Amino acid sequence: MIKFIAANKWFKDRHVLKNINLEISKGEVIVICGPSGAGKSTLLRTINKLEPIDDGEIIVDGMYISDPRTDLTALRAEIGMVFQHFNLYPHKTAIKNITLAPRKVRGLSKKRAEERALKLLEKVGLDHRRDAFPVQLSGGEQQRVAIARSLAMEPKIMLFDEPTSALDPELINEVLEVMTSLAKEGMTMVVVTHEIGFAQKVADRVVFMNDGEIMEIGSPPDIFVNPHHERTKEFMSSVFHIPIFSESQEEE
Amino acid sequence: MIDLLGQFENIRFYLVGPYPNGAIGGLSLNILLTVLAISFSFVFGALLGYSRLSCRLYIKLPCMAYIEIVRATPLIMIIFWMYFFLPYLVGGHATIFSSAVVSLSIYAAAYQAEIVRAGIIAVPRGQLEAALSTGMSRYGAMQHIILPQAFRIMIPSFVSFFVSLFKDTATVFIIGVIELTQAGIIISQRDPDKMYAAYLSMAIGFWCVCFTMSHLARRLEKKVGVFDLESIRPDACRDEFMLLPKQKKTGEGIEQSVVCAPDK
Ligand SMILES: Nc1ncnc2c1ncn2[C@@H]1O[C@H](COP(=O)(O)OP(=O)(O)OP(=O)(O)O)[C@@H](O)[C@H]1O
Ligand SMILES: [Mg+2]
Repeated sequence: MIKFIAANKWFKDRHVLKNINLEISKGEVIVICGPSGAGKSTLLRTINKLEPIDDGEIIVDGMYISDPRTDLTALRAEIGMVFQHFNLYPHKTAIKNITLAPRKVRGLSKKRAEERALKLLEKVGLDHRRDAFPVQLSGGEQQRVAIARSLAMEPKIMLFDEPTSALDPELINEVLEVMTSLAKEGMTMVVVTHEIGFAQKVADRVVFMNDGEIMEIGSPPDIFVNPHHERTKEFMSSVFHIPIFSESQEEE
Repeated sequence: MIDLLGQFENIRFYLVGPYPNGAIGGLSLNILLTVLAISFSFVFGALLGYSRLSCRLYIKLPCMAYIEIVRATPLIMIIFWMYFFLPYLVGGHATIFSSAVVSLSIYAAAYQAEIVRAGIIAVPRGQLEAALSTGMSRYGAMQHIILPQAFRIMIPSFVSFFVSLFKDTATVFIIGVIELTQAGIIISQRDPDKMYAAYLSMAIGFWCVCFTMSHLARRLEKKVGVFDLESIRPDACRDEFMLLPKQKKTGEGIEQSVVCAPDK
């Protein structure tokens, strides 16, 4: 479904993605974790070409993203994206946030688009908030509307960039639940998150990134419990807040 | 005793100038000049401000040059320049009225450009990304997401600029346009007894129009400014920002800053 082939990216002279090779198959749920600045967001954003890569190739659902002939809007219509800060359109109500793209991009009628939006709002448990503006919603509600907005395009892939890290702890679960049920339905998902519980329950594979490189890929227990690399161990212990007894005590 | 009514017997002259025996003037002319200057400069100014956002130097630099030069020039200089050069440029057909309109438009375009630019960059970057990631084109994203938000952000700046432009139309009296200021000057020179009334009339005239503009603007803001709850009540009082001893009845904390939900 998604295939990175020796993908590289630079910001000026900063090498932020170093020779990324990764294949993600249909229906798979991938969790990406790693320290701040590792390039997780950048990696995610290259998949729908919000960031172009400088070298190598990424193939998404048969489309070559570096090929200038690839229709970018068609590519992006197949890929939903959920952001850390929700990025709902503040001047539109929840339902209008959701219906906009299906109407403008897919050409759905207002009625069809609203039917679909209502179904999705129901799915994320917010059908009673359809006419609320984003400022009137809590963070968790906003993020659930944002997920519904992405789903309204009926994407084949969903990308999540730290979807819960801007939320209060008591709101995190409502968002994770929606994501979990999405995974159960067989959606292909790439999720940048430090929610270890979610990763252990839902992820098929976990990717650990550090300094622009993929250090390790493995099943959740492999990465979280028995990581191979020293760097992975260090990071996991700092995330889990478990003291480890190694020589290198430096924090990142 | 002063004949109060007699003091203001020229009210018609203040409002419309020599019209219908001559060209329109007085306060109406100030309004007309403002409206014309805004209409002529709006599209041009918006394009300037929008183009200034470009990273391409051959687009950005000319726009910046225009904006910076005009903003660094006193309006009165632009008026003199147009007064002397416009007839030269269009071959003697330029009237003082058209000189006034052209100079006000040149001036207004630069300021509107800055308002438009500031409005567009004030829309968070994530908005464009969100729109693009749902498959919308950049054109669609600008049309449905960025510009509507930018426009709401611009409203207060536009209003204060329009109000100040309206007051600035008084400057064109210097080339002999009979707008409200000039009308007052004419009357007070013709009849020095009425000098106080003349200057008072000018002040009242300007005030009435400015007040109406601000009032209409507040209503517009209330109507469209939904996404920012604060702007729904632009005239809300905020005592918690005042570095003064607490008033008794205000209770504690900051619960006075009531932010109401938009009424749909
Ligand atoms: N637009 C940009 N211009 C220049 N450098 C950038 C840009 N975006 C990201 N970077 C740099 O690229 C590197 C990777 O950034 P990225 O946002 O992908 O990290 P991340 O792993 O998502 O970190 P975080 O956990 O903090 O979100 C960082 O060093 C960052 O400073
Ligand atoms: Mg990030």
